[in-house]
Amino acid sequence: MKKLVMSLILTLILATGVHAASDFIKIGLMAPMTGSWASEGLEMKQVLELLAQKINTSGGLLGKNVEIIVEDDAGDPRTAALAAQRLSTSGIVGVIGTYGSSITEASQTIYDEEGIIQIANGSTAVRLTEKGLKHFFRTCPRDDEQGRVAAQTIQKLGYKNVAILHDNTTYAKGLADETRRHLKTNKIRICFFDALTPGERDYSTILTMLKGKKPDVVFFTGYYPEAGLLLRQKRELNWKTPFIGGDATNHPDLIKIAGRDAAEGFRFISAPLPQDLPFRQARTFVSDFKSAYGTTPNSIYALLAGDGFRVLTYAIEKTKSLDKKAISKYLHHQLKSFRGLTGRITFNDKGDRIGDIYSNYMVVVKTFFELQQ
Amino acid sequence: MTTKTGITCLLMLLFFCCPAVLNRYWVDVLNNVGLYALLGLSLNIILGDAGLFHMGHAAFYAIGAYTAAILNTQYNIPMLYLIPVGGIFAALFSAIIARPIIHLRGDYLLVVTIGLVEIVRISLVNDVFGLTGGANGIFGIDRMIIAGMKIRRPHHFFYFIYVFMIITVFMFSRLKQSRFGRALNYIREDETAAQGSGIHTAHYKLLAFILGAGWAGMTGVIYASKMTIISPESFSFWESVVVFMIVILGGSGSISGVILGAFLIIGLPEIFRGFAEARMLVFGGAMMLLMIFRPQGIIASVPQMYKIRNKS
Amino acid sequence: MEQFFLQLTNGLTVGSIYALIALGYTMVYGVLKLINFAHGDLFTTGAYLGFTVLASLALTDHLGQFTGIISLAVMVMVMVGIIGIILERAAYKPLRQSPRLSAVVSALGASIFIQNAIMLIYGATFYFYPQDILPKFTIDIFGIAIPIMRCIVFMVSIALMASLYIFIQKTTMGAAIRAAAIDQDAARLMGINVDRVISVVFFVGPALGGAAGLMVGMYYGHINFTMGWVYGLKAFTAAILGGIGNIPGAMLGGLLLGVIESLGAAYISFAWKDALAFCVLILILIFRPTGLLGERVAEKI
Repeated sequence: MKKLVMSLILTLILATGVHAASDFIKIGLMAPMTGSWASEGLEMKQVLELLAQKINTSGGLLGKNVEIIVEDDAGDPRTAALAAQRLSTSGIVGVIGTYGSSITEASQTIYDEEGIIQIANGSTAVRLTEKGLKHFFRTCPRDDEQGRVAAQTIQKLGYKNVAILHDNTTYAKGLADETRRHLKTNKIRICFFDALTPGERDYSTILTMLKGKKPDVVFFTGYYPEAGLLLRQKRELNWKTPFIGGDATNHPDLIKIAGRDAAEGFRFISAPLPQDLPFRQARTFVSDFKSAYGTTPNSIYALLAGDGFRVLTYAIEKTKSLDKKAISKYLHHQLKSFRGLTGRITFNDKGDRIGDIYSNYMVVVKTFFELQQ
Repeated sequence: MTTKTGITCLLMLLFFCCPAVLNRYWVDVLNNVGLYALLGLSLNIILGDAGLFHMGHAAFYAIGAYTAAILNTQYNIPMLYLIPVGGIFAALFSAIIARPIIHLRGDYLLVVTIGLVEIVRISLVNDVFGLTGGANGIFGIDRMIIAGMKIRRPHHFFYFIYVFMIITVFMFSRLKQSRFGRALNYIREDETAAQGSGIHTAHYKLLAFILGAGWAGMTGVIYASKMTIISPESFSFWESVVVFMIVILGGSGSISGVILGAFLIIGLPEIFRGFAEARMLVFGGAMMLLMIFRPQGIIASVPQMYKIRNKS
Repeated sequence: MEQFFLQLTNGLTVGSIYALIALGYTMVYGVLKLINFAHGDLFTTGAYLGFTVLASLALTDHLGQFTGIISLAVMVMVMVGIIGIILERAAYKPLRQSPRLSAVVSALGASIFIQNAIMLIYGATFYFYPQDILPKFTIDIFGIAIPIMRCIVFMVSIALMASLYIFIQKTTMGAAIRAAAIDQDAARLMGINVDRVISVVFFVGPALGGAAGLMVGMYYGHINFTMGWVYGLKAFTAAILGGIGNIPGAMLGGLLLGVIESLGAAYISFAWKDALAFCVLILILIFRPTGLLGERVAEKI
């Protein structure tokens, strides 16, 4: 027993020595590398590594090479907290991540306590920037905005009787609440408002019930795995009522899960897809990505992560330092209309991105996801 | 003072100097080890000493953590005072729950405890009574404040947790040697004989549950204050399995075994994080091998020894 | 009323899958008095093997839809059955004389091992079964439209269960299994090769679980390495519900659990449906510990 304890302590002490001196600028990436959203995490990593490589081959940042340190948050708040602990002690100046509002929330305090800059790419819950955290930013929009656009779209399409389905996560419930609020102000009837349990396979029960309520449209605010299953199972029930999804249903795997026939005609509201981004930066990047990895990037969130990385490195360059407070101040006050992959980026005092980026999409299987105006 | 105690004290002293040498991350790992060790010790009373197959320990942990979190965020009661409160709530909960199931035989008790922890988790996810914040849990939990100092950084927690652990170890060792502890061991070894000796088994089993639950509840409060955000995910069946493993693999019934078990099960995977992907695989394989080759755990429970005084 | 029947059919379909998996648990428990925690992961293995075989051999292209799927199922079942036997030899046989707790821990270890092995081999993302090999229309039963796949899943499960029942009741090996489940030593004295019986049990149980995995993969379309977890737990509940060690009990328990879940979800609340299943379990164990059809397990104090 004593020998074991002794050797354990020694090992631990040794392990600390392993951290080599830094000739690198370290930037962290916290992403879901395992779990339901592993495809998102993988792309986020690919995007960041590609961008880092570009910087390193053209002279580096402040003369040093950029290193991306990846930690898996598994799409789960507790693993995220542990990942955040690990990253916050690895000497990073900032972290990009993550996807999933509840996941990001679990890590916010940890990064904030160390003054590490966090730029989230896929966390749209309003609450995250209402806490007065000075080093938290996000390149993705907020749910109150999305709720407004969602309600607007529903109205424009002429639906009078709406069912709203969410999955009890911070993001989905938030979006559902916002949408409901806007719909109510416009006097549209909501015949159903409830949650399903994410991670399950069989939603036939809830679909059967929904079918019985005879809505004109169902607005689902959850994530793409569940959306895919819903579409597929609703088709099996031969139920033709249209479904509309929020931005978390935006992922090509949706079509794979649902099956092409079932996914046809599904609409969702989201920031533009990588291939639809009109900006020159984006086009160049998409083709670079294709040369490096063989396919075009699927997820807008990976690109938003890329933008997070780019504004961070830009700020480091402009302030000529790794002082986190200075970088934060720069991002808050001096970064104006930065040419991002996803459009112009400016942050307000709370760390939110200013600007209007939601559009309306429909799944048309032949041409993949098609932009509707 | 014997050499054995001397060495132990020296090691403990060295150990307590750890935060000075290690970086924050590793101190935090040790904190986690400490928390799990506390959980293991509390489960040890139920599983190791009394021999009750209990895989629902995370439920008690959850009750303690959530009670404190709710009381703290709604009524601003300082976390430090909530430690006993969390413990009491967890103990009460276990008293109510354990009463009807205490008479079930081994495997069935196991199954029921599994069902129990899942029900608790689902209730938390579904925001029962509108208090638990659903799948996102409760955030904004305060840190504990002792004598004006906020316990915030990993090394603060390190000292707090390990002092708490020393108190726990002390109390539990006294308990083991007390009448209560002996009765529990008796029940574990042979329940019928225990009954025959006049031990009211149901009563003692229930007490074991209550005590174990109470301690787990208190640990839950510390955990809540450390994370400042708690969510149902932290209290799943898998957590129960981990604590269960710590007790069994470390050596059920033996206090030092449980602590060692915590170090190994929580600490080792962190050391081998480089082999991130395969470590769970190795973990599973190790479990199987350990059961085949050393089922009593790494440090088996040492039977009480009594000196026979020679009259001449 | 239509709602009710629809939900009922949902429940029966899901329940039949639970029942198939539950059979594996109950057979093993009956003979070895062991809860094989790794069984849910054998279910997952079935799903993944099915995917691999399907993708690499393109069976349906060569053999036509119907025969292709049947041969796929047979192959998967055999493979998972063999893995089941290997599992028994590696993790449980050495522990036959040890206290029950050791075997439980070993089972948990095996579960973690298999789950992570799958993750390492296949990766952490979802895998999708090819979609075009299955029929997709609905049929009308009593005026209610029910998707055909649902019926197929249900009927196949029932067919498999019926075959198992006949096997257990009418064959010599079946009798040997029943004997070993009652008393291993007595069975040995009767000249029954208990080792062989155990191997058969560990072939058949996992084979059924593997078949269930394959069906789930085909029906729901996507698989990932953690899918065995929830299914395993629920199937386990089903086995207990029916009375563990009791084969008709497992079938009944599975179907019943599926129906309770569906109806509970529809009429009480979706979010609580899992909790409902567990509550039922606990209540049964408190008030009728034998399960619906099983043996007495509680000792009154």
